[in-house]
Amino acid sequence: MTEPTNTQPKLASSAGGSIYDLGYQGYQGRRLARRDVLVSLYGQTLRACYGIGRGARAKIVPFTLAGLALIPAIIAIGIAAIIAQAGPAGSRFDSISPIRYHTYASAIAVFVMLFCAAQAPELFGRDQRFGVLPLYFSRGLPRMDYAVARIGGLVGGLLLMVLVPQALLFIGRLLTAADPGTGWRLESPNLLPILLQGLLTVLLLGGIAAVIASHTPRRAYATAAIIALFIVPPVIVELVTQTGRTGLGRYLVLLSPGDILEHTNGALFRAFADGPDVLGRDLPDVAYFVAVSAIIVLTFGLTIRRYWRIAV
Amino acid sequence: MTTDRTVAGSPAELAAPGASIVVDHVSRWYGNVVAVNDISFSLSAGVTGLLGPNGAGKTTLLHLISGLLRPSAGGVTVAGVPAWRHPAMYRHVGLVPEREAVHGYLTAREFVLLNARLQGVVNAEAATQRVIATVELQDAADRPINTYSKGMRQRAKVAGALVHDPAVLLLDEPFNGMDPRQRLHMMGLLRGMAAAGRTILFSSHILEEVERMADSVLVIHAGRLAASGDFRSIRRLMTDRPHTFTIRSSDDRRLAAALLADPAVFGAELGDGKLSVRTADFEGFGRALPRLARVAGISLFEITPTDESLESVFSYLVRR
Amino acid sequence: MITRMPLIAVTLRGVLGRRRTWLMILLASLPVLVALLIRAGGGQPNATTILDTLLIRTVMPLLALVFGTAALGSELEDGTAIYLMVKPIPRWHILLAKMAVAASLTIALVFPVTVLTGLITDGRDALSLAEILGYALVVSAGGAAYACAFVALSAFTGRALILGLGYVLLWEGVLSGLLEGTRFLSIRQASLGLAAQVTGNVTTPPALDLATSAAILVAVVAGAILLGSMRLSRFEIRGSDG
Repeated sequence: MTEPTNTQPKLASSAGGSIYDLGYQGYQGRRLARRDVLVSLYGQTLRACYGIGRGARAKIVPFTLAGLALIPAIIAIGIAAIIAQAGPAGSRFDSISPIRYHTYASAIAVFVMLFCAAQAPELFGRDQRFGVLPLYFSRGLPRMDYAVARIGGLVGGLLLMVLVPQALLFIGRLLTAADPGTGWRLESPNLLPILLQGLLTVLLLGGIAAVIASHTPRRAYATAAIIALFIVPPVIVELVTQTGRTGLGRYLVLLSPGDILEHTNGALFRAFADGPDVLGRDLPDVAYFVAVSAIIVLTFGLTIRRYWRIAV
Repeated sequence: MTTDRTVAGSPAELAAPGASIVVDHVSRWYGNVVAVNDISFSLSAGVTGLLGPNGAGKTTLLHLISGLLRPSAGGVTVAGVPAWRHPAMYRHVGLVPEREAVHGYLTAREFVLLNARLQGVVNAEAATQRVIATVELQDAADRPINTYSKGMRQRAKVAGALVHDPAVLLLDEPFNGMDPRQRLHMMGLLRGMAAAGRTILFSSHILEEVERMADSVLVIHAGRLAASGDFRSIRRLMTDRPHTFTIRSSDDRRLAAALLADPAVFGAELGDGKLSVRTADFEGFGRALPRLARVAGISLFEITPTDESLESVFSYLVRR
Repeated sequence: MITRMPLIAVTLRGVLGRRRTWLMILLASLPVLVALLIRAGGGQPNATTILDTLLIRTVMPLLALVFGTAALGSELEDGTAIYLMVKPIPRWHILLAKMAVAASLTIALVFPVTVLTGLITDGRDALSLAEILGYALVVSAGGAAYACAFVALSAFTGRALILGLGYVLLWEGVLSGLLEGTRFLSIRQASLGLAAQVTGNVTTPPALDLATSAAILVAVVAGAILLGSMRLSRFEIRGSDG
């Protein structure tokens, strides 16, 4: 950034005209650091994720989807409360309740995917569509920072959507346990898998949504492409694997975000929280984690590269 | 003027008695915001300028007249037909909107041809050719519109609105982006159309354009109609604001003294080589001045009313 | 209809932008590719499963969604629709033209794909040619119904794409599967019902019968035309904050 110069005008007058001193001066004060700029853009992105700061219409879709993601948690807490009152006999219901930690992620997966498809084009496409990128890049905001802040905002918004319900579920079950000690003992192993799986989910889905939305400023294209990439591969994988153990089917799973997340979910809960071993696994667990990481790195990298190279 | 006519309803039929555009106590509000506030007027053949600052409601009013907005109160009649929900009216109406983008992937020729066909123009290709020549887009007519400059885009829009030879033409800031030569050409075109009996209403916030083109003006401010008619007549009506004259004479100081004795004169100011006089009574002053000068033996070289411009009228009206 | 050709032509040009066309062709060809994939891997692709899950449940609604919202919605969104509105054309003509384009494009992709997929999958439960053609007709009908519904939806809101997605994924995907009584509110169920008639497959829960399914599709198209026309005839240009 250039040094701000003192642009104070001189007071002058003559027969023909005068210049008045309005006290206009260059800014001499402290300027915030690059990090602060990034954080403020991140905050703005996070708010834009939920339509905060724009009219009521912008809030409908994100809040509806986030609310829908919350409903299973609320229902589960209700059930847990009733069970707790039923005393020890109720613990058997507990084990067959469909709303458990390790099924929560897949239960709300469709809401998260819709959220990505709806909001990512808003976050990444609007600036390109209205041609305001020069306004950002001609300030002291490096292109990398812009991309990172935008991705971070999307990831943060998704994280809220994914973790808040599960946190609610966790707290609810804690509170309805027989006593805090046993409650903590029973529930705490689930904390780590919840966090890690949540992180993987939002990074993976957010990354894919980000790379598509940043390359396709037109909102409709981006939304359709994102959704297609989310919902079509699992169907294909299902079809291919159903008809026999074809060699290709095993590896096709690695191209389907939904399936990868299912498997990492299972792996994490098995490792940390004694989860059930229900999914048929053709590949070792580590393969799924490698696939997730690879896709995340690829999508983030492509998004940043897009903003690096975009001509404004 | 043309041999390519629309399927029904030629301008000659509509130039018959009765106004082409009748706006009757029209209001339009959005929640608590009133964009157009109880406006009434009627227009027939000729050019009318809709003048107002940005945000005054010019575009809203044009949209109401062109049937693209429903009036919250009152009604609009165009060519004898209510504007709202009567698509048949569009046979006689051409609209040049300000904001709306044009299909970028179409060439100007294709765009105008599309408009012609949708209007049901007989012999659409010939009409297209003619109107593209009229707006001087022949050279660029076969390039996609998204390669055009702003002025060319504007001309393509105008061409699209003219191709069916409408009796009523509504233009929203039509000279936006046109260079002076194109502007002159377009003005000439529109004036010619008005002389042939068409009703032309255009909006602008550039006073020179309106002054040059319009037979009458509608001044709109904050959604209300502040004044309508010929702007010089409007100026005469502004009696609570003194008229200013600039006079050059053989003896300014003595003339000033003589004038100040007259009750119609508010004030006089001596500048370098000129005398500025403010008076409430335009007509009266015009008669009194020569008489006073003759009595005092002063020769008058030049008398100019200095604030008769549309600009002063306008700024007065919108500041009230 | 001849006089409406320019309307149809400009809609077609608008919808078939180069990139979008190729992507839709790719999407549409997925069932064929999957069937080929399975056969290449030595497996026995099951025709009805592929057609039901990949086509009727996924690809068909997505195609109809993209074409349906693009036919009218993209013009409304970028403001070029105004040039169609200020013409002496009854608004329901405009709507019909848009629906015709969206439905035709959907059918144009979906019909051959169904036939191809049916021909390729000759494993267990292979379908006869008559059944394949019948299935293709069913898919075309369902796709046309979806397309008309989404065109009408885009006359009401600028967010038709995401709302349509919500309908397909949430309502048809989740809820009406859970709530049996609401199955008649689902185009998917109607399509599946008609498909079951063609193939004679019995599913649990049992698919909707022929009369109900056909009635649903007809009602959807009729309702879309009616509601869309009413809305379009009251078309108002959006304010600057649209």
